[in-house]
Amino acid sequence: MTSDRREFLKKLGIGVGLASVAGQGLASLRSLVPNVSYDAPTVVKLGIPAEFPEGMKFLPEQRLFVFREGNVFHAISAVCTHLGCTVRAEALSSPVMKKVGGAELRLTHRFLCPCHGSQYTGDGQNVAGPAPRPLEWWALSVAPDDGQLVVDLAKPVERSFRLTTA
Amino acid sequence: MAVLPTVPPEAPRPAPGVHLRRLWSVRPASDREAGDAIVANFILHWFPARSLKESMEWRYSLWLGTISTALLALLVASGIPLLFLHIPSVERAYGSVKDIENVVTFGSWIRAVHRLGAHLMVAVVFLHLARVFLTGAYKNGVGRGQNREWNWVIGVVMFLLTLFLSFTGYLLPWDQLAYWAVTVGTNIASAVPLVGAQMRELLLGGRAIDQPTLTRFHVLHVIVLPGVLGVLFAYHMWRIRKDGGLARADHATRLPAPAEVPAERTRTKTYSLLGVARGQGPLIRASSVERPETTVSSVPDLTRRVALVMLGTVAVISILAVFVPSPLEEPANALVTPNPAKAPWYFLWLQEIVTDTTIRIGSFTVNGALVGGVILPGLLVALLVVWPWLDRSPAAAAGRWFPRSRRTQNAVFLVIVAIVILLTIVGTFSRGPYWHLYWPWQAWPEMPTRF
Repeated sequence: MTSDRREFLKKLGIGVGLASVAGQGLASLRSLVPNVSYDAPTVVKLGIPAEFPEGMKFLPEQRLFVFREGNVFHAISAVCTHLGCTVRAEALSSPVMKKVGGAELRLTHRFLCPCHGSQYTGDGQNVAGPAPRPLEWWALSVAPDDGQLVVDLAKPVERSFRLTTA
Repeated sequence: MAVLPTVPPEAPRPAPGVHLRRLWSVRPASDREAGDAIVANFILHWFPARSLKESMEWRYSLWLGTISTALLALLVASGIPLLFLHIPSVERAYGSVKDIENVVTFGSWIRAVHRLGAHLMVAVVFLHLARVFLTGAYKNGVGRGQNREWNWVIGVVMFLLTLFLSFTGYLLPWDQLAYWAVTVGTNIASAVPLVGAQMRELLLGGRAIDQPTLTRFHVLHVIVLPGVLGVLFAYHMWRIRKDGGLARADHATRLPAPAEVPAERTRTKTYSLLGVARGQGPLIRASSVERPETTVSSVPDLTRRVALVMLGTVAVISILAVFVPSPLEEPANALVTPNPAKAPWYFLWLQEIVTDTTIRIGSFTVNGALVGGVILPGLLVALLVVWPWLDRSPAAAAGRWFPRSRRTQNAVFLVIVAIVILLTIVGTFSRGPYWHLYWPWQAWPEMPTRF
């Protein structure tokens, strides 16, 4: 009987010891997983559509290329799909017409990544290098309050997406 | 009343296990004094009382482990002033490193010592690993209770810690190299299946690289990783003793004894001069090892060499640091990726393979980040870890350079090392803007550095 109790208390002691170490360890690790994000918001106002230049504009803060053709807009991410470096746009010597998402698109640039040499055509299609996917297209809209162009950097869209402003 | 005879007071004797000499003698007068120096000293008791001459040969171990230790000590020593001077904040880190470089007296020299020491440590720890592999020193020899495999595993972990220490260290200046290295490095982590995204968030302390990221890497670099490395280092040293010294000792037992050995010298003992054996048996019951001609007192023969190697390492780094300046790139700029964006030399082979390993089968694509950044290096590390259990060569191959019985595995190891070196060279000299291949003599095209 006594030896049973001794055995039980020994196991209890070891068990409690291990449980408390594990508990402290898990609590410490969990405390490092952020609960609040102070990241920049993903929905960003970019400016009055009419003030965008015809062709392409690079917005470094949002890592975004905004394209304008008359009153038609679309936006392509500048984040390489391989390992997240910012791709650079290189102007083509002459624009190329390409059917993108059912409509003809005038491609004026191509995109090159400085980190590992991925290459994309002007519509974001990956054509060379290690990039596994095309560049993201982000949703554009017009802010109802002040008419600014708004991008949602968390909302990918099909490549047929075009925003036509009034 | 009886008068007791007066007894002259005896000089107090030291308690058992207490040694009177404060510092060890550099020139002990007797074997006893030499042995005492080891037993009584906190640092020296890592060492056996007597060392095998063959284990101390320069050409066997090349003393790479001792050099690594010296570099670690130097990195801790040079890290402390830097720790006082560096400000781990995204706004001020770059400025503080610039101050260390240009304003602080001796600042640029201390930073150069720290940086060169780190670069050299990666190289020397790797060379140490290569030496242990090529000499089969992870193999158990003739002693009972040896577990050299586990010391090899500890060694592999320490090598990985050295790499991770370098990685976390070069982030701290918060320059362009730092910023884009974290971008690429943590994106490689996020390529791990299932838990990748969470791992990246845990490393970054958020979804974007910001102050929490710098804080985390700073804490890892100055406390967590050095602490773990220090503990493993102590364990690594202790295991060498438990395993009966370097594998060279096992090799030495197979050599013919130089002369006839008196019978009583070979009797079994529970203590070997070279290490403390597990169990009751002798660790190494070979006459050729325990003969006085084959061993020397560790004090001063071993300690002198250790001191020489350490002094030499410190001298080389201190002098190099005067002549080799430490670069500091532009301040971290989330808006512009440098072109080309290169990792430091010891990660360039990885940058090469993540470039070349995106696999496409029809419409199905596997990102090179997973293949080249996770699977291939993971496989190499896993192979290193399990290799001692796969190696079927005889125990006699332990502690010798290039034994015939291990010719194939040594050749394969050297081929893999050669490939890694080749990829490193390609990455260093042949990759230009947009990671295109250029011959070293080819000029790079002019690239706009800003939009």
